[in-house]
Amino acid sequence: MDRRTFLKIVGMGSVSLAASCSPPDKTLYSLVQAPDDMVTGKASWYASTCRECPAGCGILAKNREGRVVKVEGNPLHPINKGKLCMRGQAALQGIYNPDRIKTPLLKEKDGWRPVSFSEAEALLQRKATHAAKTGPGKIGMLTEIVGETLLKLFTESLAHWKSQRPMIFEPFAYESLKTANQKVFGIEGMVSYRLEDADVLLSLGADFLDTWLSPVEYAWKFKAMHALNNGKKGVFIHVSPYQSLTGANADQWLACNPGSEAAVAFGLIREILKLGRASRLPRALRFKIENTARFYTREKVSELSGIPPNLYEQLIHRLIRADTPLILGTGTGATGPNTLQSNIAVNYLNLLLDSKLSLFNFDERHRIGLAAIRSEVLEFFKNLDKNSVELLLLNNVNPVYALPSGSGIRKALERDSLFVVAFSSFMDETAELADLVFPARLPLEAWDEYGGKNGVVSTLQPAMGRLTGAPHLGDVFLRAAFGQNGPTDNYKTYLVSGLVAKGRIKDDRSWIRTIQRGGVFEPWAPASQKRRSIPQSAPRSMNKLSDPFTSGLSFIALPSIRFFDGRGANRPWLCEVPDPVSRVAWQTPVLVHPKTAEMHGLRQEDVVRIQSQWGQLHAPVYITESIIAGTLAMAFGQGHTSYGRYAKGVGVNPGDILTADLESISGGPLFAVGEVTVSKSGRVMKLARMYGSRTQQGRKFALSVSLAELNKGKSTEKSGLTMEDFPITLPLRAGYDKKRDFYPPVDYENYRWSMVVDLDKCIGCAACSAACYAENNIGIVGEDRVIDGREMTWLSVERYLDPQQGEKITFLPMLCQHCTNAPCESVCPVYAPHHSKEGINNQIYNRCIGTRFCSQNCPYKVRRFNWFSWNWPKPMNLQLNPDVTVRSKGVMEKCSFCIQRIKAAHTHAKNEKRAIRDGEVIPACVQTCPTSALTFGNLKDDNSRISKLAQTPRAYQIMGYLNTKPAVIYLKKVRQEI
Amino acid sequence: MSALTFAKIDQTVLDTLHPAKRSYWILVALLLLGVLAGAACWGYQILVGIGVGGQNNPVAWGTYLINFVFWVGIAHSGTLISAILHLFRAGWRNPIARAAETMTVFAVCIAGLFPFIHLGRVWQVYYMLPYPNQRYLWPNFLSPLMFDVVAISTYLTVSTLFWYTGLLPDLAAVRDKAQGVRKKIFTYLSLGWTGQHDQWRHYTRGYLFFAALATPLVISVHSVVSWDFALGIVPGWHTTIFAPYFVAGAIHSGLAMVLTLMIPMRKVFGYEKIITMDVLENVAKTIVFTGLIVGFAYGTEYFIAWYSHNIVELESFRWRAVGDYRFGFYIMVICNTLIPLLFLIRKIRRTVVLLFGISILVNIGMWYERFVIIVGGVAHGFSPHAWGLYAPTVIEYGIMFGSFCLFFFLFLLFAKHLPSISMTEMKETLEKGEAHAT
Repeated sequence: MDRRTFLKIVGMGSVSLAASCSPPDKTLYSLVQAPDDMVTGKASWYASTCRECPAGCGILAKNREGRVVKVEGNPLHPINKGKLCMRGQAALQGIYNPDRIKTPLLKEKDGWRPVSFSEAEALLQRKATHAAKTGPGKIGMLTEIVGETLLKLFTESLAHWKSQRPMIFEPFAYESLKTANQKVFGIEGMVSYRLEDADVLLSLGADFLDTWLSPVEYAWKFKAMHALNNGKKGVFIHVSPYQSLTGANADQWLACNPGSEAAVAFGLIREILKLGRASRLPRALRFKIENTARFYTREKVSELSGIPPNLYEQLIHRLIRADTPLILGTGTGATGPNTLQSNIAVNYLNLLLDSKLSLFNFDERHRIGLAAIRSEVLEFFKNLDKNSVELLLLNNVNPVYALPSGSGIRKALERDSLFVVAFSSFMDETAELADLVFPARLPLEAWDEYGGKNGVVSTLQPAMGRLTGAPHLGDVFLRAAFGQNGPTDNYKTYLVSGLVAKGRIKDDRSWIRTIQRGGVFEPWAPASQKRRSIPQSAPRSMNKLSDPFTSGLSFIALPSIRFFDGRGANRPWLCEVPDPVSRVAWQTPVLVHPKTAEMHGLRQEDVVRIQSQWGQLHAPVYITESIIAGTLAMAFGQGHTSYGRYAKGVGVNPGDILTADLESISGGPLFAVGEVTVSKSGRVMKLARMYGSRTQQGRKFALSVSLAELNKGKSTEKSGLTMEDFPITLPLRAGYDKKRDFYPPVDYENYRWSMVVDLDKCIGCAACSAACYAENNIGIVGEDRVIDGREMTWLSVERYLDPQQGEKITFLPMLCQHCTNAPCESVCPVYAPHHSKEGINNQIYNRCIGTRFCSQNCPYKVRRFNWFSWNWPKPMNLQLNPDVTVRSKGVMEKCSFCIQRIKAAHTHAKNEKRAIRDGEVIPACVQTCPTSALTFGNLKDDNSRISKLAQTPRAYQIMGYLNTKPAVIYLKKVRQEI
Repeated sequence: MSALTFAKIDQTVLDTLHPAKRSYWILVALLLLGVLAGAACWGYQILVGIGVGGQNNPVAWGTYLINFVFWVGIAHSGTLISAILHLFRAGWRNPIARAAETMTVFAVCIAGLFPFIHLGRVWQVYYMLPYPNQRYLWPNFLSPLMFDVVAISTYLTVSTLFWYTGLLPDLAAVRDKAQGVRKKIFTYLSLGWTGQHDQWRHYTRGYLFFAALATPLVISVHSVVSWDFALGIVPGWHTTIFAPYFVAGAIHSGLAMVLTLMIPMRKVFGYEKIITMDVLENVAKTIVFTGLIVGFAYGTEYFIAWYSHNIVELESFRWRAVGDYRFGFYIMVICNTLIPLLFLIRKIRRTVVLLFGISILVNIGMWYERFVIIVGGVAHGFSPHAWGLYAPTVIEYGIMFGSFCLFFFLFLLFAKHLPSISMTEMKETLEKGEAHAT
C-alpha cells in the first residue's frame, strides 16, 4: 500500500465513521402556507363536545401548530362547568391511536383489502340502493348514541332506503331506571337530579361519580352538597354490594347482598309510611305500596341485605330527619333480577319523602334515555335474519364485545347474505366481523352537535386538521342516500340549517358565536318534556321480588370508571392510571372479600377460574373489603380479543360469564349472576398494583377530622417537634426558625407557588392524573413495568384505608411538594434539582446524570426516573405538548407545577405590565378536577385564595415534622358518622 | 521448621514469578471471559437504559451501590494492615501487607467503577467535575456524592502510591534476577533503585509518612461512604452511628477478604513458612474484634429506634427483622457477628479450612449488610403507599459477577508477576530478630 492509498482509506474511514455517528437530522420546517389563525408557539382553543360517553361534557381543544395536544373542560358548559374526567382527557388517544384505521377495509377471502374512500362510498351506495330496491326494511342500522341532527339524518336516510329508524345501542342503557320512571312517573327517559340541593343523599348503587349518567356533572353537584360549607356538610350513604369510587366517597358505605337493594328501599318505605307521611298519595296507590312494603321489617331487611341492624337504623333516622333527601336508584353495575323493583321503590320513596319531587329535573333529561333497551337490541339482531336484511350499518358500536356470548350477535353478523358495514376507526371485535370497515371522522375532527341533556345544544367542530382522509359520517350518508338531490350538499350546512329550523340559533352568524362558546346553553325546554301526572296505580311488577343472592357465590360486573363499557380500553393513559379503588393498572382482577377468600382458600394474586352456567373466565384475585362477602366482582372494559395493541389480550371481560337472558319486565341486561363456582387454577399472576401499604401506618399522610371535632373549634393545640404536633410551617421566610433550620432562610421574588389540596373535596377520580399525563408528556410504561414499580405518573391519587374499617377510604393526591427545605436538592451532586426564585423545585433534565439520590431522599416518593426511553408510536407523538421536554432514558423527572403554564402567565403579565393575578395560573390537574379540590396560587400574596386556605384549621403538611416545609398544603378530610 | 534466611525469603518469593503453568493461564483466560461478560452487561445497560436492572421506585439504588460499598469496604483492611499496623509496629502484618495492599488498590478501582455503572447517564459523568464553564455551573459540594468523589479518588491515589513505594526495593530485587524483556520492564519500574544508603533513608522516611497519611484515610473514606446514607433522611439511614459502624464493617469485611485471598495463595506458593499460622490467627482475632463492633452497632440501631419513639424508625427496624428481607437480615447478623465468635476457640482459628470457610461467610454477611441497609431503608420508607420491593436482575448479577472476575483476574496477574510478599519487610523483621511475630 502506498502513501496515497493509505490516506484515501484513512480519509474515507474517518469520514464514514463521523457520518455514521452524527445525530439524526433535526430540522424545523415551517409551513409555507400556514392557516391565518396559526401563530407558532401560540395555542388556539376550539370549543367542542366530549363524545367519550353519553354525558356530553363541553370541552376546549388546545391546538398547537395544527394539532390538538390537550383537551380541557369548557367552563361555559352547563354540564361539566369546565371540568373533565380521565376518559375525557384520553379522547386524544383516540385520534392519535396508532391502531386507528386510515382507509376503508374490504373483507375478501384472503383478508382485508384497503380500498379508497370513494370506492367504499360507491360500494355502500350500491349495496344500499340494491337493498332498498329489494323491499322495505332491508337495511338495518345500529348506532351509538348520537346528537339529534345526526340521528335525524340517519332516520331520513334509512327512510329513503325504505327502512326503519336506526336502533340506538349503548351497553349501559339504564333499562330498569327507565322502566321505573315510566311506571312511577309516567315519563319516558332519564330524569336528571339536583344533587346539589340535597342534604341527605342515599344511593342504592348509583355510581354517579364513576360512570352513572353524567359523572362529571354529578361529581361537582355532589361536592356542592357534600363538601364542608360553613361547618355543615350533607350526608351521603351508599348501599351497594361493592364499593365503587362513589361508595368510597360515602360517609357510610353499607354493603348489601346483590339484589337486596329493593328490600332496603321497601324497608325504608315501610318506615316512612309508619310516620304517616303518605297522605298526599292516592289511596289505592298508598295501599298497594303499603302492602308490598309491610313485609320488610327492620329485621327482615337486615337479614336479606346483610346490613348490620344498627347501621340500618341510623340510615332510617338520617332519612327521616332530612329536609331535602334524595334517593338514587341502582345504576348499571350489579344489575340483577330485582333492580327494577328497587328503582320503582326508590321512585316511590322519593315521592313519599318529597311529594313535589323538587330535586328531580324532569325537563333536562339525559340523552342516554334515548338508547334502546337491551331486549329491543337483541330483537333487532334476531330480526336481521328473519327479515333477511341485506345491509347492516354499525356506527361505532361493539355489540360483539359488549353483549354476552350467548346473545347470538356473532352468528347474526356472520350470515353470508348480510353485508355489514362498520363505521369504526378501530378494528374491534365487531369490525372484525364486518364486510366493510369504514372509518369515519372522529368527534374531534368533525362538525356536529350533541346535547347531553335536553335543552342543551353542544356543538362539535374540527379542532385540528385531518390525520386520515376519512369523511364525515354525515356527508357519507348524505351522499350515499340522496346523491345530488340531498337536503343540503354537506353535513355542516345540514347541521346549521337544522339548528336554525329548530329555533336554537338565529342564523349563520349566531352559529359562529355558538361554536365559539361551544353551544347554546340558555335554558330551553320543549313542552313535550313536561312531566305528566303520576299514575294512580302501582305497577304490578313492583312486588315480584326474587330473593337476593344470599346463598352460594354470586358474581357481579360493574362499569369501569376507566374504560366505561370497554371503549376506553385502547387508550394507554386509561390503562396506566390505576383503578382508583383497587389501585391496580392494566389488569382486571376479580374482587374478593377476605372472608370469601378464606372460605375458598384464595390468596391475593392467585389466578382463579370462575365458572357460571354461561361460561368461564380466569382472573387474578384481589382481596378487598370493598365487596360484600359471598360475592365476586369485576369491572367491564378489558379482555378484548382485538381492538388494538393496548386492548388486545389485556385484562379479562366479565361478560364471558354473564347471562344473555334479560330482566323480563324492563328488558334490561343482567350484570349479576348467582351460583358461580370458583377454583384455583394453580397459577399466580403478579398484580400491576401501585400501592405498597393499604393503610398509612399511623403516619401523618392522609388526615381526617370529624365534623363534630372541627366545629368544636381548635383543640388545645400544643406544638412540639414530633410527627403528631409539629406546627404548620409555611414555605416562606415566615417559616424560618433559627432553632430548627440549618440553612439560611430563602427569600422568594414576588411569588411562591403553592397548592392547596382539599381532601374533603377530593373524590379520588384520578382525572388530575390523566390530565397530567396529557399535559406533561409522561411516558406510558405498560403492565410489566408497573409490576416492576416503574410507573411514571407525576401525580398519583394515593388510597389509604382505615386500619380498622377497611371500607373507609381516604384519597390523597400526591405530587411533588416543592419543599422549601427540599431533601432532593441538597443531595444531588450536580444541582439538577434546582430551587427557583419562585419556590419551585425545578428538575433540570439536561443536567441530571441519574444518580437517583434525590428519589431516595424524597420522603413523599414523588420522583420518577426514566428507566428507559419511552416511545410514542406514531402518530401518538403528535399529541406531545411542545411546551414540555420529552425526557430520555437516565434522567429523573417529577411534577413541575406545570412550569410551562407559569412561564406563559409570566409572559402575559409582563406584556401587560402587571403582576400575575390570583387564579391566572392553572396547572393541568387543577384545571380538570371535577370537584375543584385543588387550588393553585401564590402564597406570598396574603389575599390569594391559597393563603387564606392555608390559614384554616384543617390545613396540614404531610410529614411536616421532617421540616421539609412543603408547598403543597392539605386540608383534612371531614368525616361524619351517619 | 528450618529458620528463614534472607536468601530463602528471596528465593521463595522470586520463585513465584517463574513462568506460569498452563492451568494458570486457563484460569486467567476464564476470568477475563467473566470480565468481558460483565462489561457486555454494562454495555447493554448503557444502550437500553438503567431499567435493565431491577431498581424501581422506591428502591432506586440496588446492587450497584451495594457492590460499591462492598468493594470500598474490602479496600479498607489493606491500608489498615500496611499503614496502621505498621505505625503500631505489629510485626505480624509484614507477610500479608503486600497482598493486602494490592487487594486494596484493586478493590478501590472496582469500587470506583460502580458509581459509573450506577449512573443513569454515565456519558454525562463529567458534570461532577468542577470544570470552568460559561454558565458557572458548579458541582454541589453539599452532596454526599461529591464527598464520595473526593474521598474515593484521594484514597485511590494515596493507596496506589503507598503500594508502589513499598514495592520499589522488591521491584529492584526482581530486576536483579530477571533477564530479557522482564529485566527492561523491571528496570523501568524500579525507578533506578540501587539500594544505596541514602535511598534507603528516604525510602523508610517516605514510607512512614505515607503510612501516617494513609491512616486517617482509612477512617475517613468509609465514613464518607457512610454519609451517602446517613446524610439522607431515609429511615434506617439517618443516624450518627453510621461512620464508625461502616468503618468497622469495612475493616471486618476487608480482613475476611485477606483471609480468603491469603489462604489459597499461601497454599499455592508454599508460603507456609512466611505466612505462618500465627499470622492468620492474628487476623482471625482482629475479625472477632471488628465483628463485635459491628454487632454492637446493630444493637445500637435497634436501641435508638426504640428509644426515639418515632413510628417510622420503629416500623423500619421491625420490618428489617420480620419483613420481606428478613433473610438478608438474619444472614447479616449470623455471618457477621455470631459466626466470627467461633474464632474465640483457638482450635478453630488455627484450622485453615475453617478459617477459609468462615472468612467467606463473613464476606457474604457483609454483602448482605449493605443489602439490608441500602435496599431495606428505602423499600420501607416514609410513604407507606410507595412501599415496594426490589430484586436484582440477570444484568445486575452479570455485572456483579464481572466485578468479582475482574478482581480475581487482576489479583492473579499480580500474584504471578509481582512479588506478592514484601521481601524487604520480611528481611527487616528477620534482622530485628522477631521474624514474623512469633
